[in-house]
Amino acid sequence: MPSGAVAKRLLLLAAVVMAALLIAGFVVGAIGSKMFGGADPFLAQPEIHLPPQPVFPFSAAAKSLGIKPETEHPSPAAAEAEADHPPAGEAAEHAEDEHHFTPLGATEFAVTNTLLSAWLASIAIILFFVLGARKRAMVPGRFQGVVESVMEAVMNFATGVLGAEMARKVFPVVATIFFFVLFNAWIALFLVPLYQAVGLGSGAWWNTQIQIHLVRPAGTDLNMPLALALISFVFVEYWGIRTLGLGYFKKFFAFGKLFRLKPSGLIDAFVGILELISELVRVVSFTFRLFGNMTAGEILVVMITFLVPFVANVFVFGLELLVGLIQAVIFAGLTLVFLSLAVHHEEH
Amino acid sequence: MGLTELGINLPLLIAYLVTFVILLAILYQFAFKPLLAAMDQRTARIQEGLSAADRARDEAASSQAAIEEQLNEARREGQRLMDQAREASQRYREGEMERARQEAEAFAERARADIQRERDAALEQLRASFGDLAITAAERVIERSLDRQAHEELIAQVLAEGETWRRG
Repeated sequence: MPSGAVAKRLLLLAAVVMAALLIAGFVVGAIGSKMFGGADPFLAQPEIHLPPQPVFPFSAAAKSLGIKPETEHPSPAAAEAEADHPPAGEAAEHAEDEHHFTPLGATEFAVTNTLLSAWLASIAIILFFVLGARKRAMVPGRFQGVVESVMEAVMNFATGVLGAEMARKVFPVVATIFFFVLFNAWIALFLVPLYQAVGLGSGAWWNTQIQIHLVRPAGTDLNMPLALALISFVFVEYWGIRTLGLGYFKKFFAFGKLFRLKPSGLIDAFVGILELISELVRVVSFTFRLFGNMTAGEILVVMITFLVPFVANVFVFGLELLVGLIQAVIFAGLTLVFLSLAVHHEEH
Repeated sequence: MGLTELGINLPLLIAYLVTFVILLAILYQFAFKPLLAAMDQRTARIQEGLSAADRARDEAASSQAAIEEQLNEARREGQRLMDQAREASQRYREGEMERARQEAEAFAERARADIQRERDAALEQLRASFGDLAITAAERVIERSLDRQAHEELIAQVLAEGETWRRG
């Protein structure tokens, strides 16, 4: 650790470099190049694709890009060769203008960049926890302490909503949801080069227009939030039925009073149907909340990088770290709240 | 804009579900279960330690109280013994004094009785002596009845004799 005066000088130097990079980024970025005329922006305009893109097998990737099998090479050298070759380059540019990317069909299977990212995140989670749990020391070391305190935070959160006994039972699923969302959101921020600069594309090697990134945060793939939403939904219904038996469905099909010909039975029946609808709509809201937040974050990162390259993104990254945490808390928290509603609904 | 435009894809959905379930299983088996167990164990251990400390403190306090109690008891006992001893000695002294006084009184009484007896005896003797004296005097009177002067002298002599006798 450098001493006070040296540290201060280093800090000042870093600040100057940051400011210089910010200004340089502004000048060479999309905004600056338009303002000061002429030159192309430092980075090509990014393409935004909502559907996930296949990366394995390569044939699926090539097919979705509409590239002929000969030019299908994921290396920058291939991209360069493509760019040097005028007709192919023109064709590629033409294709770019048309946004020719064709998503997978609804039942076609290929390993997409988002699925790959989800696996990467899963491995990261497993490493984090299994390494943390490896020694199981009575007096935890630093790393075990971190892992335990993170778990304890989630456990306390669950206990606050459901009470200690119930929290204990649902903890594994809720915690897995929490960490799955969190790691999937954060992994793209911690592994920026992998997530932003590796992929299949066209253009010069130093400025390849990446059309298919090798990995892309799984939250930006609608299927991942949908899968989590379904898991959360099934889990909640399971606990509702397990705790209250068939009586659980009385909440949705409240026809008891109607059969006894009481007029207020109509209201009950109607409320029951509303409950049913809101229960089902949760899946949709879960899905699109996470999908929207993650996708918006990713687009924001890409666009800011395009508009002002280099360091302006630091602020966006800070924001995205927060958004990832918040989404994880919301997903796990809403699951907990719905669980508590499903388990205790007799009271209301 | 169909659902495929958004990216909905059934195999992918299933792939995510499977990924999640596998992740859950691995985490549960290798992380959550052992770590929660370790944390519970630690909680139990700490609780145990705390309650043991509590117990020890209580025990110390109670033994302290017991010692205090014993000390007080001993103090009271000592006080009682001393009181008893003081009382006994008091009683003894009083008894002794009473006895001494009675003895003294008895002695005095006896002395008084002796004196009385002596005096009575002396008086008796005196009375008897007076009789003898009277007889002696009468004898003398009869011997010297002629002489008045001698008569008087005789009486004086007898009286003087009586006087000396009485003194002696």
